[in-house]
Amino acid sequence: MRVELENLSKSWDGVVGADNITLDIADGELVAFLGPSGCGKTTTLLMVAGIYKPTGGTISFDGQIVNAVAPKDRGIGMVFQSYALYPHMTVFGNISYPLRLQKLEKDEIRQRVQQVVDMMGIGDLLDRKIAQLSGGQQQRVSLGRALVKEPQLLLFDEPLSNLDARLRLTMRGEIKRLQKDLGITSIYVTHDQIEAMTMADRIAVMSKGVLQAYDVPEALYDRPKTLFVAGFVGNPPMNFFDVEIVQADGDFRAKSGGIDLVIPSDRAEKAAAVKGKVVMGLRPEDVDLVDDTSPATEGLTLTGETTVVEPLGREDLVQVSIDGVEMRVLVDKTKGVRVGDNIELAVNTTKIQLFDPETEQSLLWA
Amino acid sequence: MTTTEIAPSLHPAGPLTEAREKMGRRFAYGFLILSIVPILIGYAWLIIATLSIRTEGLLPRNAEGGIGGFTLRNWDFITDSAIWNAMLNSLLIAVAMVIGVGVASTAGGYALSRMKFAGRKGFLSMTLVLHAFKAEMLLIAIFFVLRWLGDIPLIGDYIGFNSVGGVALVMIALELPLGIWLMKGFFDNLPWDMERAALIDGASRFRVWWQIMLPQVRPGLAALSLFTFIAGWNAYLVPFTFTVGTKVANMPVFLSQLISDTAPTNWNQVAAVGLFQMVPLIIFFIFTQELLLNIYAGGSKGT
Amino acid sequence: MTQPSEKEALARAAVGAPGPQRRTLGRRVRSTVSAYGFLGPAMALVFVFFIAPGILLLILSFTDLSSANFNDPWNIIGFANFERLFTDPFFPKILRNTVFYVFTTLILFNLGLALVLALVTTSIPRRTGFFFRLVWLLPRLTPSVVYILMWRRIGQADPYGIYNQLFPEVLGASGGNLFLGGSPWTFVILTNGFIGASFGMIIFTSALESIPKDLLTAAKVDGASMWRIIRDIKLPLIKWPLLFIATYQTLSLLTSFEYILLLTDGGPGLFTTEVWALTAYKRAFASYAGNSQWAFGATWAIVLVTVALLLAAVYVKLFKFNELIEEPRIENL
Repeated sequence: MRVELENLSKSWDGVVGADNITLDIADGELVAFLGPSGCGKTTTLLMVAGIYKPTGGTISFDGQIVNAVAPKDRGIGMVFQSYALYPHMTVFGNISYPLRLQKLEKDEIRQRVQQVVDMMGIGDLLDRKIAQLSGGQQQRVSLGRALVKEPQLLLFDEPLSNLDARLRLTMRGEIKRLQKDLGITSIYVTHDQIEAMTMADRIAVMSKGVLQAYDVPEALYDRPKTLFVAGFVGNPPMNFFDVEIVQADGDFRAKSGGIDLVIPSDRAEKAAAVKGKVVMGLRPEDVDLVDDTSPATEGLTLTGETTVVEPLGREDLVQVSIDGVEMRVLVDKTKGVRVGDNIELAVNTTKIQLFDPETEQSLLWA
Repeated sequence: MTTTEIAPSLHPAGPLTEAREKMGRRFAYGFLILSIVPILIGYAWLIIATLSIRTEGLLPRNAEGGIGGFTLRNWDFITDSAIWNAMLNSLLIAVAMVIGVGVASTAGGYALSRMKFAGRKGFLSMTLVLHAFKAEMLLIAIFFVLRWLGDIPLIGDYIGFNSVGGVALVMIALELPLGIWLMKGFFDNLPWDMERAALIDGASRFRVWWQIMLPQVRPGLAALSLFTFIAGWNAYLVPFTFTVGTKVANMPVFLSQLISDTAPTNWNQVAAVGLFQMVPLIIFFIFTQELLLNIYAGGSKGT
Repeated sequence: MTQPSEKEALARAAVGAPGPQRRTLGRRVRSTVSAYGFLGPAMALVFVFFIAPGILLLILSFTDLSSANFNDPWNIIGFANFERLFTDPFFPKILRNTVFYVFTTLILFNLGLALVLALVTTSIPRRTGFFFRLVWLLPRLTPSVVYILMWRRIGQADPYGIYNQLFPEVLGASGGNLFLGGSPWTFVILTNGFIGASFGMIIFTSALESIPKDLLTAAKVDGASMWRIIRDIKLPLIKWPLLFIATYQTLSLLTSFEYILLLTDGGPGLFTTEVWALTAYKRAFASYAGNSQWAFGATWAIVLVTVALLLAAVYVKLFKFNELIEEPRIENL
């Protein structure tokens, strides 16, 4: 099913929950709503579900406006962070509940529930009470209850947040596989960018009720359109510097305090029109420690003193002070960087991002 | 699993649910407003009656039977010493209850919540049973207990039958199971580590209770105090049963005597006395709304 | 003393208490003594005003004590009072009255209306719901004498009664009009019901408000109508509060009589609205021909006390009492 949101807004007594959201979801697509808590992603989801009434704009399913359609008539299934299983019913009672509400024949109910639990691998739990299940099992029951209706649209509200890290990994793959196999259009709300990047076909990044960007994961990472998206997508987050772009000897250079970098002209040209300072973004992984294997090149290095070293296992996350400006970089742990070392970093300037400090819009990917 | 075609009832549900919801809301408000009408009418009459010579239904009537007849004469009782005596008795009972129930419940509740001793379980279950049990049925026997207490030399006159002290003692005892149970609940919620720390620092159990634990349950104690004050202030059955005559009567008993006198009742004056008695309650009602609703949910007595 | 767990041992070590091997009888006695020091005032009062009167009531029911032979030594007369009670010509009527009163009030108001009020006030905006619940608290807050005064005026005959002035022709129960003398039960049940409903309302409200929002959202998405949500989700989830109110209020209605005493005193006429608890009270304290029949009153009371204790035991079971009494985590000191 195709879903279109047009200028969708929701506010309560002047408090804005979602502001002018416009996006479309293709049939069979899995779209993630990504953003920090309070960004309006759950509000938007609940409007799609029909639990909240929009204060403005429209929601359409397959071209039909459904604003006034009751949740039960929207053909949706929903999975909750808290699972929202009915504690006084058994697993069978929970999964069969939507079908019982549709007043289906007993035999058909049994058959369809069986089909779903077989698919979810929870067939032996049918007579258990909810309190007797583990978190992962509860999550599967919750998913089963959403699927048993054969919904046109699946809504996930942070479904994996309450699971431990390993189980989350397993369930992530399972949900993705199920969704692709069944081809059900899905909206997946999460604050976890890794979840969004790995599962979603497209990601809608939201902040303060506003849709910041809506694109495929790689595009969000490589070509962030706003300062917020650049800072939010990617872990550890992108470093930002206030720099001035100056043109000298045919080169474009970004200058500020201890920073003096040559920027590729295709990127810098777009930024040169801005008078005064611009915001330069540099991901922690786009630098390398200067040593024998990667020699320094004039205009492509930064030097500074390490202030913090956090071992992450495969790499070290190193905080470097460059003439008073703090920057985080990822360094191969075999290099053995220690606190207090003076290090020289080779910068991959072809990955540099540039933003207008006023509008916070990208100067490269308008 | 196959995906079916568009859910069949996608469109027709639209405007219908909207209208239905509106109707539901109207029905809800209509029901609620209707439900409180008798309560509001009762109070409306009380206020109208206190300001008029006589009333028919909710209408004040003057001497000729027309609408009117407003007067402040019903409030003349303010200068009568009998009512101030009754008010003093009411106040004494209420304050004695706040103190008595407060002390006995915080001490008892603490022991039941926090100390290990022989007989703990028995006392706990007894408290719970007595909390559910209605003591009105014991009044006949308590009558004899009070008469015997009255025979104790020196203090007997103050705690026996037909004394304010005796009434207060009975009222304290009747509220105790509730008080202990509530305070035990409040102590149950306090962290153990704080108490352990105080014990390590060398405090005695009594000091821990007095200096560390009591300040933590202050909100609970305040709620219990408000509850017992109202119970004491409104007490009718116990003072009515265990007092004779006007000297030891509290406000409710005084008021009931105004009604049950052999002479025809002056309803308007009775209404004024009733409203007068409610002054502190109205103040509580206005300023402690949230608290009142909470404490009456905490396990109140009464039907 | 069972083997202390590691955690308990740690806790004991933390407060510097001796381990099991050094525990002496003296210490155990001392800790119990200090606990009883805290419990002392409460225990004394409970003994004097609950335990002793309970025993006394039982003894009284086997005597013939009345204000006529008050100064004589107590005379044990066996089961004569009980025989008299069950052969009393008004016994069937009083029993019928009691059952009718308790269950009608319970079902219509203390449970029924309470539940409806809780459901309705939790489904409208919070502040509005709060306001209505607050107004419903008023009867409970009003002194019983004043509260009954209002109802007596509402139910008075023409021309004073408020009901008859507002609705002169509707809902007539007696002679075209509804008034206290004409249909006393209506007013007995209304007065008690308006007090009783608020308690259940408050308890049910907090139970309903603690149902996670997600559950209701899930039910809506699953296709449940408002009615099905109430039936399938809300009611099953407040099963325990419902059961609690049912037992607690049965007990309350059975044993309390203050409002009936003030409203009708069992009348009008002979035993029209007299319930068991009121009979017990009146036999003992309202003199029949100048004679307070304490022993006979006690007999009526002791029967009720027995029923009440049985119900209270059921109530304690329902409360899952054993789960409520957690063992203290600081041991003998």
